Amino acid sequence: VIDERDTNDPESPAGERRQQIDATDETVGITANAADVAAPGTADLAAGDTAVAREMARRTRRSFLVAGAATAAAALGYRAIERSPKVDGLSAPLRQTAELNAKLSRAVFRERGLAPTFDRRVAVDLRPKGRSGVDTRMDVSTWRLKLVGIEEPHTFAEYIADVNSWRYASTRKPPRPGALPDPGVEPGLLITLEQIRALPRHEHVTEFKCIDGWSDIVHWGGARFSDFLEIYKPRRQDGAPPRYIGMETADRRFYTGLDYDTALHPQTLLAYEMSGKPLTLAQGGPVRLVMPIKYGYKQLKQVSKITFSNERPRDLGGDLGWDWYGGI
Amino acid sequence: MTETPADGSSLADAPATIRIVRKHALAIRWMHWINFPVLCTMIWSGLYIYYMDSDRGPDGPIHQGQTFRIGLGSLTLVRLFPEWFWKLLDASEPRMPRALGYHFLFMWFFVLNGAAYVLYTLLSGEWRALLPNRDSLREALGVVAFDLTLSKVRPPQGKYNAAQRISYTLIILMGLGSALTGLAMYKSSQLHGLASLFGGYQGARWLHFWLTIGYVLFFMVHVAQVIKAGWNNFSAMISGYAIEPAPAAAQTTNPKEETP
Repeated sequence: VIDERDTNDPESPAGERRQQIDATDETVGITANAADVAAPGTADLAAGDTAVAREMARRTRRSFLVAGAATAAAALGYRAIERSPKVDGLSAPLRQTAELNAKLSRAVFRERGLAPTFDRRVAVDLRPKGRSGVDTRMDVSTWRLKLVGIEEPHTFAEYIADVNSWRYASTRKPPRPGALPDPGVEPGLLITLEQIRALPRHEHVTEFKCIDGWSDIVHWGGARFSDFLEIYKPRRQDGAPPRYIGMETADRRFYTGLDYDTALHPQTLLAYEMSGKPLTLAQGGPVRLVMPIKYGYKQLKQVSKITFSNERPRDLGGDLGWDWYGGI
Repeated sequence: MTETPADGSSLADAPATIRIVRKHALAIRWMHWINFPVLCTMIWSGLYIYYMDSDRGPDGPIHQGQTFRIGLGSLTLVRLFPEWFWKLLDASEPRMPRALGYHFLFMWFFVLNGAAYVLYTLLSGEWRALLPNRDSLREALGVVAFDLTLSKVRPPQGKYNAAQRISYTLIILMGLGSALTGLAMYKSSQLHGLASLFGGYQGARWLHFWLTIGYVLFFMVHVAQVIKAGWNNFSAMISGYAIEPAPAAAQTTNPKEETP
């Protein structure tokens, strides 16, 4: 019953058919042409069906083995992510991905794009969220901005041999001794609110975005950080400006770090006004950081100390598993 | 990708009532299945990321977020999710960083897999079987009527029927929408022009979420259809091959032999 002719011979009808099928890539286990063979009997058909079914089972089995192996490999991948040691609260592969994504963002956007601005009439008071690091019982008259790491600090009238000797008066219970790391002795400047207000005043109405998902359109007023850096020039290291800026609140419980490029962004403000009024302590006054190209957790409230470094400063969000970069 | 069975020649020549046909290319099968863990991870991590949408305090939502709401003006048609759902997930703010970490790793797999799929269908010519044509809308209604047993007229199937053409094309457009709204949210200040296409940062967040609900609905209908179509159809998405009845010519039996 089985056709004895060479099916690869293009001259034979069966061979011709085979070639057509190879060309269309449609049928694999083809059936014989009835014209070429004697009409098959029921037994032949049953045997043929069994052969086809067996071949199909073989293929299916092989594919399911591959699928099983792929599933196992994927499971191992998830396990590797879950079991990797944590880097600042985030599993190492996820942390590395976040750092790579940040690097890509910096390369593409270069912290230059301006965030969109809005009409003043749609602005609202920023919802007061995140009390961490905010001391609402501080005596504002004792607020000073401690500045460490600038060029020739002793030539300024505001020079002090140790900025950390300055105390903010507050009726809030002070932290127990040893709760916070000792910053040591740091010479620098103590800058007053009046001195920051004396810098050129800028306003913008921008959308403040929290990484939690909510956002508010807010009217800010303050000094450009770049103007501040023009007067208080950071000490250059190897002929270049420092790569990073670190900041912390008066109670030192909230801190952030930013790239020097971000600090120079024209919308980065040391803000002292919101909705045209002085910033209240609850809103992070007297001076807070405003950066519309970053998420809220990087926009420090009650900025009370600024340092410069070539090493990436700690960032509270970054320490708790969030992205250090936080750029939007 | 042509695979010839080792015993292909004998199989090819043996008469039989069934035959093996090649249904899905290897690349399509891989890209299809890669979607499964990738989408699961994106949706799972996305839920934890969206959890804080309503600006939650220790006692529940402070400002009702607008993302989970469908409505017009003061009229709310739908608002997701009930609190028990979040309790089931054990969602909380401290769980967000890990979810963000996963989301911003798997976004690469999602985008690369999707781009590879579109490129493959374009280059292989597979798009001809996938894109809807002028008859698709009418035929798709026939498919729906037939599947709901409202009609007895079996619609033309082909490799993909009209309803499949429409939904498989729509899901790719939705994928593109997810990638673009995702990018608009991810770089909402630098790419605010893109975000403004979706109604700004919050608009992009809204659309990104509801597109995902669209995937979930697609997934449910898809799984129901696969169950209905049966094992042969399902295993073809894994092995690439299915069994189908052979053309009549190949199975002609000799009536004289059957009825002596």
